[in-house]
Amino acid sequence: MAKEFLGEFEELVLTLVAVLQEDAYGAAIAEEIETRMKRDVNLSAVHVTLYRLEDKGFLKSGLGGGTAERGGRRKRIYTITNAGLAMLKAIKESRLSLWKLVPQLKIS
Amino acid sequence: MNQSVDKNDIYGWSLRFLQWFCPPHLREEIEGDLIQKFERDVKQFGEKHAKRRLLWNVIRFFRPGILLRNNSTINLTPFYMLTNYFKVAVRFMFRHKTFSAINILGLTMGFTGALLLFIWIAQELSFEQFHTDKDRLYLGWNRSLENGQLVCSETTPRVLAPTLKEDYASIEAAASYAKWGVSHLFTVGDTRLLKTSGVFADASLLNILSFTFLKGDPQKAFADPSSIIITEKFAKQLFGEKEAFGEAVTLSQEDYKFEFTVSGVLKDLPPNTDFKFEYLISFAFLESLGEKDTFWGNNSVTTLVKLKEGYDLTSVNESIKDTEKRHYADGQHIEIFLYPLTKMRLYSRFENGVAVGGRIEVIRMLGILGVCLLAIASINFINLSTARAQRRSKEVAVRKVTGAFRATLIVQFLCEAILMAASAGVISLVFVYLLLPFFNTLISQQLVLDLGNSTLWLSAAAIIFGIGFLAGSYPALYISAFQPVQILKGIGVSSHRSILRNLLVVFQFGFAVTLVVSAIVIGKQITHVQNRDAGYSRNNLIYIPLTGDMPKNFEAFKNELSQSGTSVSITKVSAPITEQWSSTGGIEWQGKNPEDRTDFERIYMDDTPSATFGLQVLSGRDFDLQKFSTDSTAVILNETALRTMGFDNPIGEVIKDNGLEWHVIGVVKDFVFTSPFRKTEPIVVFSGAKLSRAFNVAYIKLNSTKAPQEHLTTLSSLVTKYNPEYPFEYHFADLDYQRKFENIQTTLLITTIFTSVAIFIACLGLLGLATHTAEARVKEIGIRKVMGGSALSITRLLSYASIKPILIAVIIFTPLAWVSINWWLQSFAYRVSLDIWVFVMAALSILVIALITIGTQTIRAANANPVDSLRNE
Repeated sequence: MAKEFLGEFEELVLTLVAVLQEDAYGAAIAEEIETRMKRDVNLSAVHVTLYRLEDKGFLKSGLGGGTAERGGRRKRIYTITNAGLAMLKAIKESRLSLWKLVPQLKIS
Repeated sequence: MNQSVDKNDIYGWSLRFLQWFCPPHLREEIEGDLIQKFERDVKQFGEKHAKRRLLWNVIRFFRPGILLRNNSTINLTPFYMLTNYFKVAVRFMFRHKTFSAINILGLTMGFTGALLLFIWIAQELSFEQFHTDKDRLYLGWNRSLENGQLVCSETTPRVLAPTLKEDYASIEAAASYAKWGVSHLFTVGDTRLLKTSGVFADASLLNILSFTFLKGDPQKAFADPSSIIITEKFAKQLFGEKEAFGEAVTLSQEDYKFEFTVSGVLKDLPPNTDFKFEYLISFAFLESLGEKDTFWGNNSVTTLVKLKEGYDLTSVNESIKDTEKRHYADGQHIEIFLYPLTKMRLYSRFENGVAVGGRIEVIRMLGILGVCLLAIASINFINLSTARAQRRSKEVAVRKVTGAFRATLIVQFLCEAILMAASAGVISLVFVYLLLPFFNTLISQQLVLDLGNSTLWLSAAAIIFGIGFLAGSYPALYISAFQPVQILKGIGVSSHRSILRNLLVVFQFGFAVTLVVSAIVIGKQITHVQNRDAGYSRNNLIYIPLTGDMPKNFEAFKNELSQSGTSVSITKVSAPITEQWSSTGGIEWQGKNPEDRTDFERIYMDDTPSATFGLQVLSGRDFDLQKFSTDSTAVILNETALRTMGFDNPIGEVIKDNGLEWHVIGVVKDFVFTSPFRKTEPIVVFSGAKLSRAFNVAYIKLNSTKAPQEHLTTLSSLVTKYNPEYPFEYHFADLDYQRKFENIQTTLLITTIFTSVAIFIACLGLLGLATHTAEARVKEIGIRKVMGGSALSITRLLSYASIKPILIAVIIFTPLAWVSINWWLQSFAYRVSLDIWVFVMAALSILVIALITIGTQTIRAANANPVDSLRNE
């Protein structure tokens, strides 16, 4: 299998799915990004990214319960697959190993 | 918040929009997320804001990642079928090569012809459309009452532009523009060029018309009177690769020399403008020489006007109409009005003071021609497809039995039609690209095929697919309606849709007949005018311009030329006899009706005009200034002028022109002045001996003992001797005369080409139909032959059916052809009269062509061995 790469936004969304656990669905992820990362996010972009990650096998999904706040509509809850976790780990490790090669910078 | 969805609410509307485009299996979760987001936004920003954000969020879901998301409801079957349709269509095309070739060839020719015409029309319609503020640009016109008729002319006094600007608040800018065709000699270093392509203009012209400056500032270019603006091409000729801007150039006119500075270089003028020039000189320069033309009676320039924004043409025209009357006591019969610049090219023919059309009529004819070509080609397509329908009947039946809907069959046959049209379209685009340069030379236009222009591609695609669709829809409807049961039982379909088919053939050939009639009549008109007695002899007649030192040295030049035996007779003339120089309605004579404002052509000549031009003197004598010094105030009339003036004994009568008195010394036979297509005008030949600068050219009758070309060397050396500054320039009178036929010859050529194309396409169709009839009736022919029918009788039988619609076409369309060609002929004052033989000839030629086409097929069918056709049953 050719090595899969993740884009920056994909990685972010994947990580958040891992973070949010049972509560990982489109609107919640978008909100998390907005509050935690302080960046504006396009809801449709989150959805499309989730679908793409699911296509790649890093996520799986199932329909969860609806709430009044959602007008009774059910949520699609995403959970990270083992492949997804492995991918995140691999990314983190490769980043760390690269980071170690950076000469120690003094922030003055 | 409750879920009641108000129909006019942005909230409900957004969600319905989402439902419309979102794949169903994603809808619920997305909707949920959107609503959740909305609820939070309401708390944070308020309801109004939140709704707007919701709509924006919904719109952002309209993206391929959502739209095409595992959309299992997209049914791919139609696409599979589409490939199948195309595969079948291509196979069918290759199996019936003749049929496909006829079809595609016909369509290609139709498309090519029509596209060429449409490109031409588009160019004509784009004239002067590139000026910014084109809707506020107008030309000043004169409308004067002459002999009870309102005569309109766009040649106006020089003083009109400044007066309009001065007198009326509605006018933002006004400029005079004059193309007088003066010859100027340009000198830059060693480069010397003689040009007549210059224009005098006011500085404000550059604010009115939008020409692109490569160098220089339109606001400042004419700040200095002795500055000149030249086009890029002319700059290259003068300065080569050197930068022209700011350079000095010497300009000589007759004895004068002026220094000019190039203050602007224009991008070469676009082909779609009637303002054509290579250099612009400011009126301020002319007027700095001391001649400021403020005389209202001198109509010599074009006046361009730019109105201020928000002014309406009718009210402006109402306010300015008395401008000339107020300033000019003799101009009480003249009104001034403005006419839109954008209408000048196509709508500037006036009759009795009202705009009645103009070139647009030609353009409309071209449009009709183009549409008819397309129609003929599509008719071919329809006829051939329906005629061939039975060939497809089994296929249709099988498709229907295996579950095809009628709609899918229609789609199939439409696809085929569009495939045909598209292949013809692609070929014809290539043809148009290759043919355009030739077409341009034919019609002497500069059409450009701008391949980067999306409008061109869109309209070409629209035409091609539109025709494919239109021409394909009838056969598609027809074929898809076949009853499978009957076909599979072996009854087959009758191809008796022949009424429609015949009607279409009638139309095709009717159009062809009309075109043939036009081509014949145009040809006859040309020969008719060619054979017109010009009244003067053009053989060995040559003229040279009187430029530079020539007027000064003329007598010496003339003497030496006649001594050398080159010339028989020389006459100085105000302008070439093939060009109008001056005309007047103000000539007075004894017994003139004061209301009469008949226009007389005014020509100035000196010695022996009748000898030089070979005019036939009916009474009196030629000018002879050597013998009679009084001849400096003499005039010669032509017959028509004599008739207009009504003298019984013309010799010795005195006429008045421009306040001077002239006496008539001779009458000559009528001769063709300017163009042989014009009717004979009354002409007064004035002796210009006493007027300074009356003459611009000298006509030389060469000695006929030698060929004219052999005289040219002597002539050239003498001209250069007496006028060393200027390059030697000469014109043959007969060539100039012949040039008057260029326009009509172009018309003839275009008509002939398109006639041939139309006939060719129509015959292709006929050939296809004849082949089909012969094939369809092959058994019948076999039986007839077995029963003793002769080949001749069978040929007659088969041909008669095919020739009948063509006969009908001839009968219906010849009167129409008569009407249209008669209308065209009306545009010539001197024209051929129509006779019945033209129509008989046209009809016969069409019939013969059609018979030959049909004959090739019917004779073969009639001669075929009946055994071959009857063996299998």
